[in-house]
Amino acid sequence: MGNWFERQRNIIDFTLSSLVRRKGKNLALLLVYTLLVFLLASVMFFTHALRKEASLVLQGAPEMVVQRMAAGRHELVPRRYLGMIKGIKGVSGARGRLWGYYFDPVMSANYTMVVPEDHPLGAGSISIGQGISRSRLARVGDFIPFRRYDGTPMVLTVREVLTTGSELVSSDLILVSEGDFRKLFGMAPDLYTDIVLSVRNAKEVATAAQKVQKLLPDTRPIMKSEILRTYDTIFDWRSGIIVVILSSAVLAFIIFAWDKASGLSAEERKEIGILKAIGWETSDVLLMKFWEGAAVSLSSFLAGVLFAYIHVFFTPVMLFEPVLKGWSTLYPSFKLVPFISPYQVAMLFFLTVVPYTVATIVPSWRAATIDPDSVMRS
Amino acid sequence: MRKSTLFFMSIAVQSVLLLGAFTHAAYQRGRDASILGETVALVKRLDLTDLCLFTEARYTRHPTQADLHSPFQDHPMSLEHFPSGSLLAPRKGIGYR
Amino acid sequence: MIELRDIRKVFNEGKPHALTAVDGVSLILDARAVTVLQGPSGSGKTTLLSLVGCMARPTEGRIMLEDREITSLPERFLTDVRRRTFGFIFQQFNLVKGISALENVMLPAYPLGERHASLKKRARGLLDLFGILPRESSRAEWLSGGEAQRTAICRALINDPKIIIADEPTAHLDTKLSREFMDIVGRLKAEQKTVIIASHDPLVYGSSVVDRVITMRDGKIEAAGR
Repeated sequence: MGNWFERQRNIIDFTLSSLVRRKGKNLALLLVYTLLVFLLASVMFFTHALRKEASLVLQGAPEMVVQRMAAGRHELVPRRYLGMIKGIKGVSGARGRLWGYYFDPVMSANYTMVVPEDHPLGAGSISIGQGISRSRLARVGDFIPFRRYDGTPMVLTVREVLTTGSELVSSDLILVSEGDFRKLFGMAPDLYTDIVLSVRNAKEVATAAQKVQKLLPDTRPIMKSEILRTYDTIFDWRSGIIVVILSSAVLAFIIFAWDKASGLSAEERKEIGILKAIGWETSDVLLMKFWEGAAVSLSSFLAGVLFAYIHVFFTPVMLFEPVLKGWSTLYPSFKLVPFISPYQVAMLFFLTVVPYTVATIVPSWRAATIDPDSVMRS
Repeated sequence: MRKSTLFFMSIAVQSVLLLGAFTHAAYQRGRDASILGETVALVKRLDLTDLCLFTEARYTRHPTQADLHSPFQDHPMSLEHFPSGSLLAPRKGIGYR
Repeated sequence: MIELRDIRKVFNEGKPHALTAVDGVSLILDARAVTVLQGPSGSGKTTLLSLVGCMARPTEGRIMLEDREITSLPERFLTDVRRRTFGFIFQQFNLVKGISALENVMLPAYPLGERHASLKKRARGLLDLFGILPRESSRAEWLSGGEAQRTAICRALINDPKIIIADEPTAHLDTKLSREFMDIVGRLKAEQKTVIIASHDPLVYGSSVVDRVITMRDGKIEAAGR
C-alpha cells in the first residue's frame, strides 16, 4: 500500500517537473482553465441561490391575482368586481390592490408604489426601499417631491426606510397611503389596480380561477404556482446571456481538449520512448499522463470554485453587475443567502475535470505503447 | 521540498477551504433565516408577487404580471430591447385560458 | 549467462521492404565478462543488443537468461525482468531534457515505488562515485558530454542491474572520454557485473578490459571471438 502511494508520488514528481519545463504555456493553461471554472461556477451559484431565495420568499405571495384586460392591455378593476369575487364559493377572502409605477425623471428610475393594507404612517408619509434611499440619498425625515398626474407637485416625507435584508423584494418600493396614491395618480375611488384573493382549500385554486374567469370574462387570473414557476426558470440555460457564457465555456474546453487530443509532439513522443527504454511500463506512462491532466484540472477546479464562491457571496456578484443591471438605474444589492448544493459542485467537477483528464490520456495511448526498442535505433 | 508534496499540500489547502466555504454557507444560512422570514412577512403583508431584480420596464420588474403587450406578444422569442429580457423567460401560461 | 538459440529478427515482415536484421544467431554470453559486438553499421549489433536486453522479441529463436526462457514471457513479466536485470546506456545518452541530472538518474526507479529518501541517497551515491555530484541539480541539457555520459551510466546503474548494455557508447566522445569510459567498464567488471557493448570504435574493442569480441556482418556472426 505504501508502495502504491510512493509510486504515485514519484510519478507526480516527474509529471510536475515535466509541466514546469514549459512553464509559460502551462501557467496560461492553468489560468484560463481556472477562469472558465470560475465563470461557470459563478453562474451556477448565483442562479441557484437566487432561485432558492425566490422560491422561499415568494411563498408569501398572494394565492391568486385577478387582472382585468381591455384590448389586450392591463386595465383597472372596478370595485363591484371585488364584491362579485368575494361571493364566489371557495374564496375565503379578497381585497383590491393598489400599486403602480412612478417614473422619476431626476434619477431616470422607475419606482414601484404600493398601498399596503395597513399604512400606519398616514397621509403625507412614505416608506422607501433601500435602493431609492441610496440613489436619492434620502433618509428618514427627508422630503421627496412627486409630480401628480395633472402636473402639479406633491411632496411626501420619508418616515421609514425598508430593511436591507428585504431588498430583494423591496429595493424600489414606495409604500404610500391610499389617499396619497389616488391623489398622485388621479385614480378614482372605485377603481383598483387588481384584486388578490385567497382560497379556502389550496387544491381548489384552479377551480376558483375557472369560476373567476366565468364570472368575469374580461379578467385573467394569475396563480401563485405560476408566479413561483416563473422564478424557477430565471437565468435558465436557455436564456440569452447564459447561453453565450455556457457556449463560450464549452467552446474553450473543446479547444483545450482538441489541443491535447491532436496528439503528442515529436518531443513528447521521444520522451515517452526514453521512459519506456529505461524501464517504464505502458501503465506507468499512462499514469503519468493521467496526473498531467488531473494536476492541472484539479487545481483549476478548486481555485475556480473557491473564487466563484467569494465572488457570488462576498462581493455581491461584482462581475455580473453590468449584465444584471441592464439599463435600469436602480439596482438592488444582491447580498444573497448562500444556498449551494454539493450536487452542483460535483456536477461541475464531472463536467470539467473528467473530460480534460480523459483528453490528456487518450491520445497518449498510442505513444505509450511504443516499443522501447525503437528508441535504440533513433 | 518535493514537488509532489507541494502539490498535495496545495490541493489539501484548497479542499479544506472548499469545505470551509460549505460550512460558512450553512452557518450563514442559519443566520439569514430570520431575515428571510422578515422578507416573507413583508411579501405577505404587501401581497407582492415579484422580486425587485430589473427595474427597467413593467414587464421586467413584474414578469409574473406581464401583460401581452410586452415584446413577447408577437412571438415568445422575439427580439428584446432590454438586456434583462434575455435573462428572464416569459411567464408560462401567458394568454387567455 | 545469456544464451541465444537460432535468433532471427525480421522487421516489416511480409511487406516488400522487409529487413532481416539478425539472421540465425546462436551465442552464449558469459556472465561477469565484458563482451563487445563489433561490426559496421547495419550488421545487426544494435538489434541483437535490444533482443538480449528484452527490449524486443525475436521473430524466431529462443533466448535464455540464466536458464530461464524469456522469449515467451508475457509483456508484463518481460518488462519486469528488463527493469531489474538490465541497465542501458544509449548512443545518444537519451537523458530527459529539462530535468536535473539527479532526477534523470532516479527516473528508472520511479515506477517501482521505492521510498524517495533512500532512492535519492542511492542516486547521489552513484553520482558521487562517478565524480559528478556537484552537477546533480543541473538540467540535463547543460551537462558537458562527459558529464552526460556519466549521468547516463549512473542512470543505468540505479536499479543495481546485473547486466549493463551499451550501444555505441563512445560515438560522441573524444579519445580521453572514451578511455575514461572503458576504465569505468573495468570498474563495473570488478563489481561482478556483466557488460555487453556494441561498438565499431577500436578504442572499445581493442581495450584490455574486454574479454571477448564478436564480429558481426549482415546479421550473422562472422567471428565468435573465443
